[in-house]
This record gives sequence, structure tokens and C-alpha cells, in this order.
Amino acid sequence: MRGLDLEIHKGDFLAIVGPSGSGKTTLLNLIGALDTVTGGKVEVFGQDLSGMSRRERAELRLRSLGFVFQAYNLVPVLTALENVEFVLELRGEDGGRGATAMSVLEDLGLGELADRRPNEMSGGQQQRVAVARAVAAKPRLVLADEPTANLDSENGELLLKMMRQLRDEHDMTFVFSTHDPLVVSYASRVVTLRDGKIVSDIRKGSGSEAPGDATEAN
Amino acid sequence: MTTPIIARFAVRTLGRNVRRTLLSVVGIGIGVAIAVFMTAFMRGSTQMRVRAIAESGFGHVKVVPADWDRSRDNDLRLTDWEVELAAVRATDGVKTAAPHARSTALLGFGTRVVGVEMLGVDPDAEIETSRLARAVVEGRYLEDGDRDVAVVGRTITDRLEVELDDDLLLTVVSKGGEMEYAMLRIVGIIKTGSRDMDASICHVMLEDVERLTGREGAGEISVTLDDPLRMDAAVSRLRAVVSPEDDVLTWMVVVPAQGGDYQSDKGFMNILAGTVLVVVILGIAGAQLTAVLERRREFAVLIALGMKASQVVRLILLEAVAMAVMGAAVGLLLAWFPLHQTATKGIDFSTMMGGDLAMSGVLFDPIMYSVPGLWVLPYALTVAFVSTLIAAVYPAVFALRTDPTSALSLREA
Repeated sequence: MRGLDLEIHKGDFLAIVGPSGSGKTTLLNLIGALDTVTGGKVEVFGQDLSGMSRRERAELRLRSLGFVFQAYNLVPVLTALENVEFVLELRGEDGGRGATAMSVLEDLGLGELADRRPNEMSGGQQQRVAVARAVAAKPRLVLADEPTANLDSENGELLLKMMRQLRDEHDMTFVFSTHDPLVVSYASRVVTLRDGKIVSDIRKGSGSEAPGDATEAN
Repeated sequence: MTTPIIARFAVRTLGRNVRRTLLSVVGIGIGVAIAVFMTAFMRGSTQMRVRAIAESGFGHVKVVPADWDRSRDNDLRLTDWEVELAAVRATDGVKTAAPHARSTALLGFGTRVVGVEMLGVDPDAEIETSRLARAVVEGRYLEDGDRDVAVVGRTITDRLEVELDDDLLLTVVSKGGEMEYAMLRIVGIIKTGSRDMDASICHVMLEDVERLTGREGAGEISVTLDDPLRMDAAVSRLRAVVSPEDDVLTWMVVVPAQGGDYQSDKGFMNILAGTVLVVVILGIAGAQLTAVLERRREFAVLIALGMKASQVVRLILLEAVAMAVMGAAVGLLLAWFPLHQTATKGIDFSTMMGGDLAMSGVLFDPIMYSVPGLWVLPYALTVAFVSTLIAAVYPAVFALRTDPTSALSLREA
């Protein structure tokens, strides 16, 4: 990242695009408290990540962030329901975890997949379960790394509709790194990176540069 | 109550690579089986050793004059042996108590002479306490009222070329330093199976030793206990009832060679068991480390999702515990046959010992048995848990070091 200055707003459905090596994944790692900056500052919900311990960053990820990965990365030995419930268990939630997880799956139309393990599901189904896992704990920000990369366009569209519905109904913020024009078409805001720099930041509908207050990377 | 997901995760992970899990479980099982078998056999060996020492005339503990341990002088006598004998017999936990008076002597017949340690005994107490008194192969053992008679070992009769009812010339040095002589009739011959041991056995009446040596009373009381494992408590109780000028010593002090052998046998077995366990631990650690390496992306994802270090460690330890339970079960299965064989039939060491079953004056049993029991269940689980958990430490630390940024890319973690 070089001289990058980005603010992400609450409710953004933001796509970060750019060629390979432009810094999309690095930016996502920094916002997701997975990596630390060597210079500058990253603030998430007003908290400076550079001053946080490893444990505090883990706590932030657990309480406030959700992740969707390109390769789905569901735990292969757990069923769809257990994968979702596991995140709630990691958060230390006690009674009713199973019911909460089931309700999340059903809300997303995945109830019939509850007892299936990842190898018994298609790629599209796995990715939708991965989204259910990411949002089960009602995070304020969901980071998705190339979420449609391994999906056909029909499944990709299904996934994006689901995410946009979550954004609309639960006031969540979504940030994608992507090459996929489909994701860009669904995004409310598109940030283009090249060589670690922002070359454009377009808010659709307004056509203007986007100000913001949720997350900031300098 | 439902099983935590993390526990299901751990158990099911073992099924991901069945071959590796099976090999690890068999490795743990072999280690557990060796540890269980060796411990059961060591217990049997210890029990046999202690019983052999006790029944060879030394007792589990011995009441002796306070100076005896320093000088080992058999001419020393107890302060008031009859009072002490009664008090010892009345002490809680005492099974038998036999008074002894020892003196060095020469036995002669014609021109042939042998040196012996003459042992003055109370016949009834001796038969209760000593396996030597029960090993009479010709004639009889001593009886109350006997005078000037002896029961001797087979090697002595062979060397002196005598037989039952022959009279032997006994020569001892009395308290005043003078030579005392007596004729002793052989009323019994003892054969223990050890020619060396049979060469030193000469049992006579306690009163005869008192009369011939001029030293009144007994020099020691050999005591056997109901529970030899509680020897230290028994020593404390006995010290409270004997004269302050006398002492109570355990067999390890009385027969230091056997005490040393016992400690070195125990140490050797522990080293052997420890070596086996270290090899097993290294094997399991290697298998678990490989498993963790194969799952680095999975750990990266879990850490990215917010899994804390303690939860990562818990997951790996739970996998280890599941493997330990299976390993303990396999270990018990593997150990069952050798344990059953050695507990019922034992191992016959008589050929290995060249027919001589005596060492340091102790007559050993030729067959050694293992002593299994319900203790093997918690013991096997403990061995499996401890070794597996130790083996899991390094893989757990390795998993903690996983870089979570690799979760967001297809790069290797």
C-alpha cells in the first residue's frame, strides 16, 4: 500500500478491484486485522489496529468482523449447521447456539443443507453456507475475498443477492476484493487499486468520490 | 447437554486420515502395553523379593541392638528380648515375630571341618516365619524341649560326609574368649535348592546358643508384617514399643545388597519404560505435526474467524485426548495376553539362575509372576494421556504460529 487513504461507510457494498498484485488482498488483510501496517494507520470502528495485541485483534475479528473466502474454507468434518454454530461457540455463546445457527441457515434458504458436510454440497452451496457462517454472529463488517471466483454466474448472482439482502436487512457493511464484473455490477461503490494506490473510487448512483466514517485506511 | 462442536471437530478430525490415526493409536497402544506389563511385572518381582527376604530369616523389619547397624556384630544382644518380643507380637500390623541369636562356629566330624553361622531359634516362631525351617528334606525341624541338636544344610552334610543322627563337634568362642565345645546330633537336613545357602545353615535351639556362648538372650527379632507396603508405619509403631537402646530396621538396611538390587532393578525398569515412552511420544509428535502442517490453511481460517490461541490449543489437545483413549484401550488389549500368562503361569528363572536361587543369603522363588489388577485401567489411561498430551505440545505451538493472512489467499500458509 502506498499513500492509500480510504474511508468505508456503514452500509457500503464496496468492491475493491484491480489487477493481480495491486494490493486488494493486502488491503483486506489490513482491514480484517489479520495483518499489521508497517507505517500509517488502520482504524476499524474507531479503534487503531496498530496498537492492538494479537488477542485483541482476534477478539475484534470474532465480535465485529465476518470473513468469506475464495475457497469457501468450511471445516470439512463439520456439517453446515455445525460450521455456523462453531463460530457462535468460539464467541462463547451458550444455550440456543444450535437454534440460532439453524435460524440463520433458514433465513438464507439453506435449511435443507444443515446436516450436509462440505463434500456433500456444491461449490455454490458451500459458499452460501460460508456466508451464513460469516454473518451468524451479526458482524458489522463482512470482508469477502473473491467470493464468486469459483462459482458459475448463476450461483455468483444468488450469492450476491443474498449478501445484498443481508446488508439491507441487517445494516451490515460488505467489502469485496474481486475481479468479477458481476460483483462490480452489484457493488454500491467501486474502489480501483493499482500498484498499492487508489486510482479511482466511484460511488454508483452519485458518480462522486465517496466520503465516509466507518473504516479508515491510511 | 449437547457435545461442544470443538469436541466433535476434534474426534472427527481423527477420521480424516484413518491410516495415520491407526498408526498413532497403535504406537500409543504399544507404549501403554509395555508400560503396563513392565509395571505389573515389577510389582510381582518386588513382592516376590520382599517375601523371599522376609521368609529367608531377615523379616520385613528387624529389631536389633542400636549399635548393630554400625558394627554388624552378631555378639550384640537385645536389652530385654522377651519383653520386647511380647510387645512386638502385640503391635498392630505384625504377622509373626521370631527371636534369633547368632554366633560364628565350626562344625567338625572326624578330620573334616566347616565354618557356619549358628542360628539359635524358637522353633515354633521360626516355622511360622522362615521358609528355610519348612525346607527340611530329611528328619525333622527343631522342637520345643530339644537340647544339643541341630538342623543343618545339605551341603554341610555332604562336605562333612555325615547323615541324620550323626553327632557333630561344635566349637564356638564364648563371651570370655574361651573355646567352648559341644556335641550336636543332626535331627534334620535342609535342602533349599541353593548349595551355597545350604552350606551355611545350622539351626540350633536359642537356649543352646545362650549356654554355649555365655551371651544371654536374643540378638534380633525378625518380624514379618501383614502389609509389607506399609513398612514405614510399622517401623514407627515398633520403635515406640522397643527399648530406646534397640532399634528397628527395614530389610533394605538389614540386607543392603538386596536393597541396592531392588533400587537398581526399579531404576532400570523405569529407564526402560521411560525410553519406550519417549520413542512413542516422538512418534506421536511427528504424526501430529504432519497433521497440523497439512491443516495449516484450516488453522489460518479458524484464526481469521477469531479463534483464540487457547481455543486452538484446546482443539489440538482434544484430538490428542481422543487418540489417548483409543491408545489406552489398544494398550490394554495388547497387554492382556502377556499379563494373563505371567500372572497365572509366571516366568521360570531357575534355568537362567543356574539352579542356584539364593543371593545375599536370600532364597528366591524360581518363578516370578506379574501382579495385574484394576490399577491397570487408570494407569493405562494416565500413561496414554500424559504421553499424548506431551506429544501434542509442539504441534499445538506450531499451529499457533500459523499466519492468518494466508486464509485470504491461495498461497501456502
